[in-house]
Amino acid sequence: MSYALREHTADIGVEATGETISDAFAAVADGMAAAMCDDIPAGGTRFALDVRAESREALLFDYLDELIYQRDVRAVLPVENEASVREDGDGWHLNGSARGVPLADLSAREVKAVTYSEMVVEEADDGWRAHVVFDV
Amino acid sequence: MKTYTAGDVTLERVREYVWEIPREGKMGTPARVLASERLLSQISEDKTLQQLRNATQLPGVTKYAVCMPDGHQGYGFPVGGVAGIDAENGCISPGAVGYDINCGVRMMRTNLTMDDVRGHEEELVDALFDAIPSGLGGGGVVESGIDTVNEVLERGMAWALDEGYATDADLAHCEDEGVREESDPSAVSTKAKNRGKNQLGSLGSGNHFLEVQRVTDVFREEVADAYGLSEGQVVVLIHCGSRGLGHQVCTDYLRKIEKRHSGLLSKLPDRELAAAPAGSRLAEEYYAAMGAAINFAWVNRQLVMHRTREVFEDVFDRPWRTMGMELLYDVAHNIAKKETHVVRVGPEGRPVGDGEAVEREERELFVHRKGATRAFPAGHPEVPGAYLDVGQPVIIPGSMGTGSYVLRGGEASMELGFGSTAHGAGRVMSRTQAKKDYWGGDVREELEREHIYVKAQSGATVAEEAPGVYKDVDEVVRVSDALGIGDTVARTFPVCNIKG
Repeated sequence: MSYALREHTADIGVEATGETISDAFAAVADGMAAAMCDDIPAGGTRFALDVRAESREALLFDYLDELIYQRDVRAVLPVENEASVREDGDGWHLNGSARGVPLADLSAREVKAVTYSEMVVEEADDGWRAHVVFDV
Repeated sequence: MKTYTAGDVTLERVREYVWEIPREGKMGTPARVLASERLLSQISEDKTLQQLRNATQLPGVTKYAVCMPDGHQGYGFPVGGVAGIDAENGCISPGAVGYDINCGVRMMRTNLTMDDVRGHEEELVDALFDAIPSGLGGGGVVESGIDTVNEVLERGMAWALDEGYATDADLAHCEDEGVREESDPSAVSTKAKNRGKNQLGSLGSGNHFLEVQRVTDVFREEVADAYGLSEGQVVVLIHCGSRGLGHQVCTDYLRKIEKRHSGLLSKLPDRELAAAPAGSRLAEEYYAAMGAAINFAWVNRQLVMHRTREVFEDVFDRPWRTMGMELLYDVAHNIAKKETHVVRVGPEGRPVGDGEAVEREERELFVHRKGATRAFPAGHPEVPGAYLDVGQPVIIPGSMGTGSYVLRGGEASMELGFGSTAHGAGRVMSRTQAKKDYWGGDVREELEREHIYVKAQSGATVAEEAPGVYKDVDEVVRVSDALGIGDTVARTFPVCNIKG
């Protein structure tokens, strides 16, 4: 799984790929962390997340929104993201975790919010691809 | 007729600096760009024009969707975009307000001159940087609980007044006197309040900043007198918004609207334009929650200004009142508001674009301004009493190296842009490209050679905000003045700047 930061006039795009949809989601989350901080230090403790939504795109939106929320209330940057995504009876479900690096230990810029603008979540020949624009 | 083509969009020149994308296909009205040819060529380099065209598909859009001279691509709705949408039969769109609700600018006057400040610049920038929370996790001036947040959301700057952080004069010189009456804290989620309670009185990061400036030029003496501005005077500019609380309000309502009004959403070209039909429960809830976030942002900027007064007291060793540190004006640039405007009405009595109009009527609209400044002219009833005879102050920040402007609302603003003008210089370069082209240390040194002292949480932020990533603010203001949507009053130049 991997990510790349993509250009956008005012905001910032993250393009991510993974062998599975779970890998692709976690890679977008790592890309979001990279959009906030160039050099991520060691340290911090892991915390868990549980997110449900009505579609794949909505799940990705809500997952990233939850990470932003956790960042602000825990005062940590969520990095080394892990995600397990599956479709169940009434929609889509993600179990995940992230290592929360205390914001006091790093120099970071703020991603304000996740957007649906130009969002892509699609299965490709060699895995999954996702693209998200963040408001910064 | 002169035309300008960019990709799949062709604009017709209506007159100097006014370009129109004629109505076609699913567009509800034409769209207009207010720009010189040079600015138009920059505006057309990204997806601004496509986003502007998309905005005309929002139900109830009247006259035309407008892009200001500093416009650039945003998400869903362009930054620099203005849309007046029928408040009875139209809709309200959180994406057309933006995530940073009531991101805005305030300018504080002082009676200091550069002679008073010279030699203190580095002490001042260090003291401001230490005293004013900025960056991620920087906390706030007030560490509050949910009860305090609720009071702020309900009462806006009246709360700050009661707590000793503001004066009566501060309220009198703020847009809407620092409170959106139609706000409802219960429409704001606990999640949003949790994000806000540790950020009350903080700059944030990105393009937000506090800048000490000197007035270099006065262009309209009579208006400058009314604003209390004169050449050589030192002023302070504060640019920030509603922080995580406002971002969460936008996110929450975007998702609620997506779930409850999926029928409307399926007809729109971009999910970020998700809109609640006027009169629906969600439209009312969003309007009330947005109003609460607007109040939060006003208090946020007030607390930053309060702390700035304290810093000046320390550095210059005298009470802030003796330094004349009074609020000139606070103006929002990411906002939707019910306002009455004259619009064209079609045969069925509904507001329409110019082409189908049979008469003109006053209508209540949700005026969406995303990266655009309200710019009401002299005599408009919503202009504060102190400025009623000269027009509402408009503050247009430029970049760290090029200076900023104070304008006044122009006579043509009501007709051309629902009482609006530009909000800044507008980016031309992505942050990714900026970091390739600039190094923060070099930018800072270059600015210091110009006697501009910058202190930021990270070098990357300085690179991303380098003067070269912005449009020419002089050109943006020149077009605004020439069109009569915002008349130039004074120009300021940076002395020192702190960034998150």
